[in-house]
Amino acid sequence: MKKIALTLAAGLALAATGAQAQGNYPQRPITMIVPFAAGGPTDVIARIVGDHMSRTLGQQIVIENVAGAGGTTGITRGAQSQPDGYTIMMGHMGTHGAAPALYPNLKYDPAKDFAPIGLAAGTPIVIVAKKDFPANDLKGFLDYMKANADKVNMAHAGVGSVSHSTGIFFNSVIKAKPTMVAYRGTGPALNDLMANTVDYMTDQIVNVAPQILGGNIKAFAIATPERSPALPNVPTTKEAGLPDYQVSAWNAVFAPKGTSPEIVAKLNDALVKALDDEGTRKRLLDLGGVIPSKEERTPAALQKLVESEVARWTPVLKAAGASAE
Amino acid sequence: MGDLVSNLSLGFGVALSLQNLGLAFLGCLVGTLIGVLPGVGPIATIAMLLPITFGLDPVGALIMLAGIYYGAQYGGSTTAILVNIPGEATSVVTTLDGHQMARQGRAGVALGIAAIGSFFAGTVATIVIAALGAPLTRLALIFGPAEYFSLMVMGLVFAVVLARGSILKAIAMILVGVLLSTVGLDLETGEERMTLGLPFLIDGIDFAVLAMGVFGIAEILRNLDHTETRDVVRQAIGRLLPNRDDFRQSYKPVLRGTLIGATLGILPGNGAVLGPFASYTVEKKLAKDSSRFGRGAIEGVAGPESANNAGAQTSFIPLLTLGIPPNAVMALMVGAMTIHGIVPGPQVMTRNPELFWGMIASMWVGNLMLLIINLPLVGMWVRLLKVPYHLMFPAILMFCCIGIYSINSLPTDVMFIGFFGIVGYMLIKFGFEPAPMLLGFVLGKLLEENLRRALILSRGSLETFIDRPVSGVLLLVAVALLVVALLPSIRKGRDEVFTE
Amino acid sequence: MSMSQGGGRDRRGLVRSPQNLAAGLSLVFLAALALWLTRGLSQGHLNAMGPGMLPDWLAYGVGLCGLALLVAAFVKDGEPLEAWSLRGPLFVVVAILAFAVTIRPFSFGPISIPGLGMIVAGPLAIIIGGYAAPEAQLRPLLVLAFGLTPFCMVLFGDLLNLPIPIFPQSLAGLMPDGWSQKTILRVLAALMAVVAVVIHFAGGRRKDGRDGKIDVATQPEEI
Repeated sequence: MKKIALTLAAGLALAATGAQAQGNYPQRPITMIVPFAAGGPTDVIARIVGDHMSRTLGQQIVIENVAGAGGTTGITRGAQSQPDGYTIMMGHMGTHGAAPALYPNLKYDPAKDFAPIGLAAGTPIVIVAKKDFPANDLKGFLDYMKANADKVNMAHAGVGSVSHSTGIFFNSVIKAKPTMVAYRGTGPALNDLMANTVDYMTDQIVNVAPQILGGNIKAFAIATPERSPALPNVPTTKEAGLPDYQVSAWNAVFAPKGTSPEIVAKLNDALVKALDDEGTRKRLLDLGGVIPSKEERTPAALQKLVESEVARWTPVLKAAGASAE
Repeated sequence: MGDLVSNLSLGFGVALSLQNLGLAFLGCLVGTLIGVLPGVGPIATIAMLLPITFGLDPVGALIMLAGIYYGAQYGGSTTAILVNIPGEATSVVTTLDGHQMARQGRAGVALGIAAIGSFFAGTVATIVIAALGAPLTRLALIFGPAEYFSLMVMGLVFAVVLARGSILKAIAMILVGVLLSTVGLDLETGEERMTLGLPFLIDGIDFAVLAMGVFGIAEILRNLDHTETRDVVRQAIGRLLPNRDDFRQSYKPVLRGTLIGATLGILPGNGAVLGPFASYTVEKKLAKDSSRFGRGAIEGVAGPESANNAGAQTSFIPLLTLGIPPNAVMALMVGAMTIHGIVPGPQVMTRNPELFWGMIASMWVGNLMLLIINLPLVGMWVRLLKVPYHLMFPAILMFCCIGIYSINSLPTDVMFIGFFGIVGYMLIKFGFEPAPMLLGFVLGKLLEENLRRALILSRGSLETFIDRPVSGVLLLVAVALLVVALLPSIRKGRDEVFTE
Repeated sequence: MSMSQGGGRDRRGLVRSPQNLAAGLSLVFLAALALWLTRGLSQGHLNAMGPGMLPDWLAYGVGLCGLALLVAAFVKDGEPLEAWSLRGPLFVVVAILAFAVTIRPFSFGPISIPGLGMIVAGPLAIIIGGYAAPEAQLRPLLVLAFGLTPFCMVLFGDLLNLPIPIFPQSLAGLMPDGWSQKTILRVLAALMAVVAVVIHFAGGRRKDGRDGKIDVATQPEEI
């Protein structure tokens, strides 16, 4: 009993001062919140990058999975934690781009409530279709869509998922209104795509590449400026005639607003070193990930990206009436 | 056939290497010990221990993870039998008769038959995967939304059969369970349903939270009410292992359970969860005296446990052959493979044969390890039951809290088990059973998803459920089962009316 | 404890099965609640089922079952309602809440509790929860709390590396500089275990002591 009282007193007293020695940051393990379940693309990227960052910083980066509400639960927690550099988070295009449009009661502002650290890796989006789809390239696909608009189904992994947001964007670019079929996650969606039950989907390369290479589904285009080494035979949307569709599910590291610039610099430095390391690069590239260039890795570049992404996604998603209301 | 033999020898060569043997053993041991903790099921265990495997080579890492998985499954069954807390959806059925057996002093027998049945099922499942893995995946592709819906309807009918007492109350509980599963964000439109504006309800209610509250906490509350009956459990500790009579009663359920579990496990989309329920239903219907079920019938443990393990193994098939995880656990495995640089997919079988066949062989090795680890442990677990209850339940309480917290690091999850504990307590007072509600909850999500998806794809035509042959057959079986289940009560009701 | 002595069979009052009555009422209430909560959701039509369709059907189904039970309560004999105890549920729920609010920093309106970690949350849960049992005694509960918590701290925090808060950061500030997190954890766990042992043995032989009679008989002063 006495022990508890002592601890409580000490805790309350010291919590009030909240001082942290900044000179020797980091002095203990750092928690990186991943707002998705373990095993998914963002989680894997966080672990790969975090593994190397641990070595540079000299303290372990512990991944804490706080999944829920399309990632916003974990990010909300991260945004509200102490800006002492010991809690950071891995956000992505959904949590820091599409979320304001999808979740009206969002408890954070992606552009204002964070101290951006830097981009980690992006996963390009691929337009895929069932094997029996009556078209063999993007142009054929678009022609078929124009002629048979009301017979086509598009699969997605649920409101708030990458395949959902990018799919809506795709439909708005090609001005189509297919029937949307929701799944609980990419796995079941891919399953039905392979069973020829649904017609097409837009999803991250890491999820769809194995099935494309295995010949179970067709790929029409990849929405990045250059072809991906993981899928050398898939043309880019620019080559295939749809240059307006450029989107990548980027992942980035954030710290809560108010984190000191020295800590931000240290974290960014560790992140950049991780992205330069041969071993880390190989693992990311094997996933089909896209590693940001040197200019894209700065905190300032990330801040600009967040602002432009929010500006891009909000009208698109609101127009489609998509919202988690 | 020659191919199979050579592949299996490649696999065993990999699995029986000293390092991989050690990893399998370590995985099974750690998985069992963590899985035994009330509140911690297989998913939580694997997620917890995933980082440990990062330093290992891919094959070793996956072997260890698989070992953790089976170990946690078995640990969850242990908790289900000893303290009536199911670690995962598949252990819910084990609590029905397993815990009753423990109350009668036959905990050792229950644990033993669960271990042995699981080992047998695992062996058969390994052979099935090795021989038929690739062709079987094509079977899975036949199942579309309509078929899944009908399968889930059949599953709900199983839940009615599961009921020990009043059928009306069981049906009510199933409906409540399905209703609870609709809480959260609607999948198709993103609208909030019954979330009361609370952010942590957006993803719906977590199964672990519901199970922990309605089974675990409510059980504690109920035990606190009945001081006399508690101590009875402590005294009568009988035989530690099953004897010949037990085996004779159990071998057929084990065989049937294996078949059922292995078949259902192949279906992507978590068909494996139905295995234990289906097995329990079959055993209850086939038994000469079905009133024994729910009061400690050994068939009620042997069948479902075998189905459980067989399903757990065969659910690796969609993962290994297609790279598509059929449930949350396999999704973690996908993540593990990806982190280690292996992109799961159809080419894994050809590009990394040592991985593919090594994993299959190590499944059997893992099952053997589980048997070796757990049979001696039975004595230890049984002795745990002797701890005075007024000291044991606070410990269980703390473990439940830690376990639930460790899933998502959300204190609200922990608070919810208190809420559901009170709900479960109320249910018991009103004469309801929680098991059908949990089954309704698990199946509810899948049921609604597939119903809506099937209707979207058929553009609103209800005939799609009957036109498609597989779906039609499943629905027919469901209806037939329902009639068979209700017939005795209807007849009894009529008799009562007549005699009164 | 059940209060059924005369049993349900001989009841000739209006309500022949109180348990069914309560059960039926609760189901009807639940159905009404569900219907009210989903009142804003669109039903949609068959080829595009809205979010409200299935919950509404289910609510009607639950309500129907509730009505059936209500009818049965007046028509068929059944179980009486068991007595409810207050102590058990109250202490268990408070224990769970205590764990939930102390494990991580928690703020609700004006109240804000700093994160205290497992080192506080664990013992709180065990001790408060332990009092749910009528025969609870402080000393064995303290021993259990101070013995089991370090085990969990080492198992979850050290061996398994779970991201679960173990002790408040401010406590770490009290420790000498340069000690790693793990070391602090182990030291604290060892301290707690020592406390547990001390409490256990400081109790003397009268651990289960309510044996007043024996004591009286052997004490010479009484004579």
